[in-house]
Amino acid sequence: MKKSTVIVIALLFSIGLFLYPASAQEAIKVGVILPVTGEKAKFGEIEKKSFEMALEEINAAGGINGKKLEFIFEDDTGRPDVARSAAEKLITKDQVVMLGGGYGSSETFAIANVAQESGMPFLVSTGSDNKITEQKWEYIFRINPPVSDYPRGLESFLTEVVKPQTAAILYENTNFGSSGQKEFQQTCERLGIKVVMAEGYQSGGVDFKPLLVNVKKANPDLIYMISYVMDASLLMKQSMELRLTPKVFVGGGAGYTLPEFQKNAGKASDAVFSATLWYQTLPYPGAKEYYDKFLKKFGMDTEYHGAEGYASAYVIADALKRAKSLKPEDVRGALAATDMMTVFGPVKFIAYDKMTNQNKLPTYVVQWLNDKLELVWPKEVASKPYVYPIDWEKVWK
Amino acid sequence: MDVFIQTMVSGILIGGIYALVGLGMTLIMGVMRIINLAHGQLMMVAMYITFVLYEYFNIDPYFSLLVSMPALFLLGVLIQKYLLNPLLRIESIIPQNQILMTVGVAMVLTEVMRFIFQSDYKSVKTPYSSAVLYISSIAFNFPMLIAFGIAMLLTAGLFFFLLKTDTGKSVRATAQNKDAALLLGVNAEWITQLTYGLGAALAAAAGTLLLPIYYLYPDVGGPFTLKAFIITVLGGLGSTVGAIMGGLVLGVAESLGATYISMALKDAVGMVIFVLVLVFMPGGLKTLTKV
Amino acid sequence: MKPNHWSKLIIVLFLAIFPLIVPSDYYRHIFILALMWVVIGSSWNLLAGYTGQVSFGHAAFFGVGAYTAGLCVTKLHISAWWGMLLAGPVCMVVAFFIGCVCFRLRGPYFNLATLAIAEIFRLTAIVWRDLTEGMQGILIMRTFRNKTYYYYFALILAAACIYAIYRVIRSKWGYYFVAIREDQDAAESMGISSFRYKTFSLLISSFFTGLAGAFYMNYMGFIDPEVVFSLYFISIMAILVAIIGGAGTIWGPAVGAFIMVLLQETFRSSFFGLFPKWVSQAHVLVFGLLVIFVIRYMTNGIVGDWIKVQRLWSKNKEQPLASTGS
Repeated sequence: MKKSTVIVIALLFSIGLFLYPASAQEAIKVGVILPVTGEKAKFGEIEKKSFEMALEEINAAGGINGKKLEFIFEDDTGRPDVARSAAEKLITKDQVVMLGGGYGSSETFAIANVAQESGMPFLVSTGSDNKITEQKWEYIFRINPPVSDYPRGLESFLTEVVKPQTAAILYENTNFGSSGQKEFQQTCERLGIKVVMAEGYQSGGVDFKPLLVNVKKANPDLIYMISYVMDASLLMKQSMELRLTPKVFVGGGAGYTLPEFQKNAGKASDAVFSATLWYQTLPYPGAKEYYDKFLKKFGMDTEYHGAEGYASAYVIADALKRAKSLKPEDVRGALAATDMMTVFGPVKFIAYDKMTNQNKLPTYVVQWLNDKLELVWPKEVASKPYVYPIDWEKVWK
Repeated sequence: MDVFIQTMVSGILIGGIYALVGLGMTLIMGVMRIINLAHGQLMMVAMYITFVLYEYFNIDPYFSLLVSMPALFLLGVLIQKYLLNPLLRIESIIPQNQILMTVGVAMVLTEVMRFIFQSDYKSVKTPYSSAVLYISSIAFNFPMLIAFGIAMLLTAGLFFFLLKTDTGKSVRATAQNKDAALLLGVNAEWITQLTYGLGAALAAAAGTLLLPIYYLYPDVGGPFTLKAFIITVLGGLGSTVGAIMGGLVLGVAESLGATYISMALKDAVGMVIFVLVLVFMPGGLKTLTKV
Repeated sequence: MKPNHWSKLIIVLFLAIFPLIVPSDYYRHIFILALMWVVIGSSWNLLAGYTGQVSFGHAAFFGVGAYTAGLCVTKLHISAWWGMLLAGPVCMVVAFFIGCVCFRLRGPYFNLATLAIAEIFRLTAIVWRDLTEGMQGILIMRTFRNKTYYYYFALILAAACIYAIYRVIRSKWGYYFVAIREDQDAAESMGISSFRYKTFSLLISSFFTGLAGAFYMNYMGFIDPEVVFSLYFISIMAILVAIIGGAGTIWGPAVGAFIMVLLQETFRSSFFGLFPKWVSQAHVLVFGLLVIFVIRYMTNGIVGDWIKVQRLWSKNKEQPLASTGS
């Protein structure tokens, strides 16, 4: 008797909670999904801070046609199923006008699937698997280049400067890593570089030496590695221990540009190249200001992930300003018509290769020189001249 | 040939650290017959202690063993006393609820550390972190050599403790037959606390020794928990010598598998060996030694 | 513990009309997940709670089920719904072989063996890219936009699972299962072939777990090995769901599933945005504390220790603690 009363009350209460009306719509709400807990939280944090910084500036400058812009952050904890729940919540419960964010490729893919199904515009800021914009999903836009473009800036560097004959590709067994490996292998074939080895590994390993001794035996000219930050530093440290000396080490984005990489790898990080999407000295308006402001405000470095988030916020604001109404269809139209300059570079959504609604950007090559990350390629925008050829014995002394 | 030798060397060196991880687990599993699914997380806590001592007080990781091991010993005793032992008195349908309790403990430890330190990657960068000894062209990582040495010392110490001291004998007696030990006046409650404490302290040693060559974030523990029980079963429950052998075998097998099969299947090699040992040699390697 | 039919009827009615009275897709989504966990938790419970074989590797069946459905699309080019038909039998075959290996072992050894086998499945699925697409995962377009269909599908699945387990437990098999749980050697000496009945239990358990996996593929539209073969988020979660609700009871895992899924989502979204953001950071922490609390003070779970829970409410602490075995 008592039990059933309690249950009835609980159920009534829960129905009340379910029907609880969404708070009055004053601000324009945009959902942003990023990992802020879990293993990918490091990058999610940089992006989230950048989103917040941009939001303050946008609202200080009058918001969206007089209305305040509001970002509702959801944590995907680095898991696709949670990302999906978060997207569902933002769309149906918070009734956001569009979605942003998306860090890991798998999570982004899951969110994009929900967004497309519900007809909700989604601006991807980081998730870089090519597949995401290859589905002809008209509601999905991507500001960052796909993973196949990451080494595009590197191509000219390889053909003009290094001219390697053979390459080894080491990649982490994740969506990002394995799609990156596939794309780079094709790039190598196109450039006439023989891939002597392509091997995946489980992220988080302690000892990469068994992998590296095989690389040493294959003795490639180029070692291309796709890894997150700590695997990256261990790979370099252990390469140094084994005296693995290819012509160049190149990181395929992600881990190799973070300050933590240098901090952990120490001198093993020296002279390592990395493909990158952005660098603070690039001649984009506001790039350096963004970098300095971030550094001052949070006391930590930012890098391309942060710039992606910061630029995304401005693209979102710009699209919402131009949209005829806040209906998803109109926001989608406004996003598709985007043509603006951001700290991350020019943003315009076009179709190329097999992709649609994809922003096309040049990519760059950076190198760690004297414990600092310097932009070295293309030459016109370089912050320092590249160091090549590299005498590893001297670098690692 | 170089490839083979180098693979063996790194397998043996990493095996030393594995042995230390397994040593704590084998004690706990041997005496209490439970799988400690918080083992890697205890290691993680010790790594944070080491990190804090290094970062803020500039204490060398090897000296912080003197802090991290007692600290974890205390933590282990408390966990056993207030969380695990009370479960023995409760009748329950699932006998394994102590294991589940360790799952809860693992979650709490991880999240508390995340609360304090965020998810950031931390590392301890000592001058000798990348020091390497070369014998012809084979590289021996210096911190790993030291870790190996300390692991052997701790094992010898533990071996002596279990074999020669009264308390150690009580631990072994409890492991063999708890009821009989109780009858003979062994304070089983205290013995289990001591065992869990010692297990935690050994995990702490593994964590502290690993930190200079590895890195740290709140989720770092999980994979080591898996390694720990592989080693324990490989070596045989409750056997110190078995744990050393199990650690070395696992390290070498993983390295060989990674070199000659596939790096991506490195962890699977350990798991397959584990299942084979479970099925065909349930007593583990200790059945071969009779120690 | 006498079942209270009124309260059960109310709950069933509530679940039956839930999508009609709650318009939000978000809450339907959460309830669909909860119902899926009812299936997984209940089938784990049959093997562990009733037969005493505590599996730490149910992710193997969940993952195989999900991949059966996914491979229907990528390899056979048929609808993933066929996976719902295929997943059960496929999982039973897999389970049979796992059983042959694991049932030779007892206690902690059995736990570890199941855990290791699930891990082997996960690593194989990652590496075998030709078959599974590896970590790129499998993406399918979902059949329905409307969540109501999925909701009723999950509800029927959950009801069928609970009913089937209920029938099994009430049959002769059920008594054999419990006999094996209570004392395997005694059961064996009574002429109950422990291997045979443990295998039966495992087959039924894996059948429904596989169905849940296939449903997950159909509903979520995206899987990768780390998601569906996850040790922490599937295998351990299955255990927690059943333990918190009450292992060895019919309704326990169902209650546990709703508690766990709702709690997880509540905390992840900081009480639906009503609480400050840092609360969401603590969702795993609260989970852990809940686990510790339940195991410490309500060892048989919320349903199993319902008397204790009631006593807490009525604040009548004078009556002595009754034995709570079921």
